[in-house]
Amino acid sequence: MNFRKYLLILIPYTWLLLLFLVPFIIVVKMSLSDTEMAIPPYYPYFTLSEGWQGIVNFFSELDFENYVFLAEDNLYWKAYLSSLKIALISTAFTLLIGYPIAYGMANAPPEWRPTLMMIIILPFWTSFLIRIYAWMGILSQEGFLNQFLLWTGIIDQPLTILNTNIAVYIGIVYTYLPFMILPIYASLEKLDISLLEAAKDLGCNRSQSFWLVTMPLSKAGVIAGCFLVFIPVLGEFVIPDLLGGADTLMIGTILWQEFFANRDWPVASAVAVVLLLLLMIPIILFQRSEQKQREAEQ
Amino acid sequence: MSETDKTTCFEPWNEVGKKPLIEFRGVSKKFGALTAIDNVSFNIYEREFFALLGPSGCGKTTLMRMLGGFETPSQGQIFIDGKDISTIPANQRSVNMMFQSYALFPHLTVADNIAFGLKRSDMPKSEIAGRVDEMIKLVQLGNLGGRKPHQISGGQRQRVALARSLAKAPKLLLLDEPLGALDKKLRQETQFELVDIQEKLGTTFVIVTHDQEEAMTVSSRIGIMDQGKLIQIDTPDRIYEAPNSVRVADFIGDVNLIEGNATTTADDKVIISWAEGQPTLTAQTTTNITDGAKVTFAIRPEKIAMTTDKPTDASNAIEGHIHDIAYLGNVSIYKVRLSSGHMIKAQAANTRRLSRRNYTWEDKVWLSWTDTAGIVLTK
Amino acid sequence: MKKIMLSLMASLMVSTSVASAAEVRVYNWSDYIDEDLIEKFEAETGDKLIYDVFDTNELLETKLLAGSSGYDVVVPSASFMERQIKIGVFQKLDYSQLPNGKNLWDLIKQRTAKYDPDNAYSINYMWGTTGIGVNIAKVKEVLGDDAPIDSLALIFDPKNMEKLSACGVHLLDAPGEMIPAALQYIGEFADSKDPEVIKKTEAVFEAIRPYVTKFHSSEYVNALANGDICVAFGYSGDILQARDRADEADNGVEIAYNAAKEGAVMWFDQMAIPADAPNPEGAHKFLNFMMDANNMAAASNYVYYANGNLASQEFLEDDITGDTAIYPTEATLKNLFTTTAYGSKEQRTVTRLWTKIKSGT
Repeated sequence: MNFRKYLLILIPYTWLLLLFLVPFIIVVKMSLSDTEMAIPPYYPYFTLSEGWQGIVNFFSELDFENYVFLAEDNLYWKAYLSSLKIALISTAFTLLIGYPIAYGMANAPPEWRPTLMMIIILPFWTSFLIRIYAWMGILSQEGFLNQFLLWTGIIDQPLTILNTNIAVYIGIVYTYLPFMILPIYASLEKLDISLLEAAKDLGCNRSQSFWLVTMPLSKAGVIAGCFLVFIPVLGEFVIPDLLGGADTLMIGTILWQEFFANRDWPVASAVAVVLLLLLMIPIILFQRSEQKQREAEQ
Repeated sequence: MSETDKTTCFEPWNEVGKKPLIEFRGVSKKFGALTAIDNVSFNIYEREFFALLGPSGCGKTTLMRMLGGFETPSQGQIFIDGKDISTIPANQRSVNMMFQSYALFPHLTVADNIAFGLKRSDMPKSEIAGRVDEMIKLVQLGNLGGRKPHQISGGQRQRVALARSLAKAPKLLLLDEPLGALDKKLRQETQFELVDIQEKLGTTFVIVTHDQEEAMTVSSRIGIMDQGKLIQIDTPDRIYEAPNSVRVADFIGDVNLIEGNATTTADDKVIISWAEGQPTLTAQTTTNITDGAKVTFAIRPEKIAMTTDKPTDASNAIEGHIHDIAYLGNVSIYKVRLSSGHMIKAQAANTRRLSRRNYTWEDKVWLSWTDTAGIVLTK
Repeated sequence: MKKIMLSLMASLMVSTSVASAAEVRVYNWSDYIDEDLIEKFEAETGDKLIYDVFDTNELLETKLLAGSSGYDVVVPSASFMERQIKIGVFQKLDYSQLPNGKNLWDLIKQRTAKYDPDNAYSINYMWGTTGIGVNIAKVKEVLGDDAPIDSLALIFDPKNMEKLSACGVHLLDAPGEMIPAALQYIGEFADSKDPEVIKKTEAVFEAIRPYVTKFHSSEYVNALANGDICVAFGYSGDILQARDRADEADNGVEIAYNAAKEGAVMWFDQMAIPADAPNPEGAHKFLNFMMDANNMAAASNYVYYANGNLASQEFLEDDITGDTAIYPTEATLKNLFTTTAYGSKEQRTVTRLWTKIKSGT
């Protein structure tokens, strides 16, 4: 009995250990190493063949030099800040757009809901990269959007959208919208309609019942959605690379540059470790709120 | 509190010229092709505890939701205090509703739930806390004000819902199956409390229920609904003793229904011949029955006496064999099979212990009743 | 980017499966071969050819430095290959297995020997220049008929760029190409590794930065062909590809390529065999196959790049040998220079400078 219980717990923990902890330790170790033009391009390596002395030597070679370097060059904290800003703003926009959509879906006739859900999920059936490429086609100078706006006469000069931060925001909001809509929809769909009737009965008009009942009761969905968007956007690389301009500064791009352009695996690892630590804060907050939610539902 | 006292001293529906609090005038409600409410007209008076009783799907909830403002009539008008309610938005009516699911706000404490409506009203902030305390005391919630709904029992939640719907002191309180989620014992206790509260506050209550016992216990009058129509409105005792139709008789309590042909006599009596080889039945009636009309004779099992020998002085007596016995503790129901194949139910109080019971299966018995025990129905 | 992802995935599959002797795994630049040659190789040798693609030197290098790439033949640019040879990434070629080596062009061999002495580790696949591609009509519309379309001044003179920004300018997102060009423009030694000298380019780029639409190393092909931009500083073959696409689309866009008259970078893509190649014998077979005059000509006819194979020239189509953008004239050839790779520290300086130029941080 006990053995089976432990086995059940063991499986997810082994999974975590192998797929999260071990790679993370390797990355941390790498971030404490020095870059070198060699295979692999850093030093020291961990070898057991030299015995105890080898292990001592190995640890004595590790240092925090790369973190000091990150702190000294303003590029890195500016990139972290800029990523944070982009992640926060796009999360806010995703929420502003996603909430009404989720609300509309939850209030649609039940027989429509599977179809609406399908429409939200449908983009996932196409490659994410192809969808981003499609946005390049839409947003470019000669793209559909400009052609349409020119045709309607709203503008007489094509707008420069592609390769600016606006395009990055559009791409991020578009890509991550379903991650915002689905949890909010799930919480709104669960909402007992009689609660709204009760609010109305007790003197609320439509907007009062929304703010006093619907909104607080969908809070869990909103929080989940915000984290599901914010966390991956913080480290986003592909969207700023494809839609952004040269001045779009994001930590994902910097990470790529350190790794590939500078071949500096240790500094790249240090950037990744700091990014992970930054992400831990919202992740821990998210876990807390989830736990509170679970306790509340008991 | 006694049911009979109440009915004798409080009968506003019999007062000539008394203005009703609520008036339904030819109200119909259609959902697509379905007619949920079919041309209903009736009045509810101030301080009444009015029960809408009927099987599920009969339209009673729709009728109540129209009062609450959650549905609008397709035809006809509803007046509260003489005002057509279609002109008043739901959130401005002096009507509150207690929902079947209670609909307590899960994110608010008990006290905040009760205060919810008050905060939306023009009550000064300083008075709200006092009013909430008053309500908590009224429904005996003690010190649970700071708890969240998921932290209290089902019975306590029911009280919070009641307190919340009464907090704004509405003229009319609607209760949608208010006790449906409680177990039987708790339900019975709560029924009496509900009546106490209603009498104390003097608020008009309209309750929707499918539980006839509940309706009988709490209400001053019952409206029986069937297929969108109000088929009888009367006091509980009248509904039970004098149903106006087979459907009402059948719906309320247990009843034997015997179909036959009526022959009228000079002294307001009806002779009913109902089966080959069975003696005719004699019953008193006040309704006009034409000679030879098809009628249904309805008689409650407890009105039937059961004897081993043929009674000599009874107006009606028929012979049969005990087919089945249902032992219910305080009473037993005997199903008696007649030679014509009819099955008649008779009820007898179990004044003796089971082992000393007089009758058992296949015993030959006589069933008898007076000519005023049953009722002759033409509908 | 999509290509990067695809090639990442492809290489992942490669490294997880066990290589068998009859398989030859080649890792080349995207859009860089006539695919019929793959089938031809398989038919001639009976070996299975697995052909994956990448689109930046950095990606290839990262893979090689990580070790056990699983590839038998890779195609780095000579400047990157130079340092890779030094740390033992490649194995020496066995010329006895490469009879077609006789077809190679001495002129190119001499130049590549600068990176790979004696061409001991590599043979040239294709070479080209880095230069300026223009949408002729649009540039003339903005700058007039005497627009300096063959001069570095077109992209480094802020006065020109200010006007060109209206129709769009792409520069390569490759400091290794852009900084030598800027150094050449201000009259410094283009292949300088002196940080002080390199830093001088910052001012040059800062002056034109506001007018650059995007720094990117591959998007300009489409952008130029579609008419989204009017100037791109990029690789010769890419710009010629844009020219052909515009011709095919018949959209009225006419594109011209010029290696800058002030001097342009000449680059070489070299085929080499990693030291840990699972099938070096098959690798040699493939190199020999590619050095066949007919096969190499087929590749060049397809991708519009010049190759280092003299014997193949008689099989090249006229519009390739006759196009001075592909096979430059003697005079231009003299004007072309080569660059070498940056060391680790210099590389960091250059990347940091480049980030500052691009993002202002």
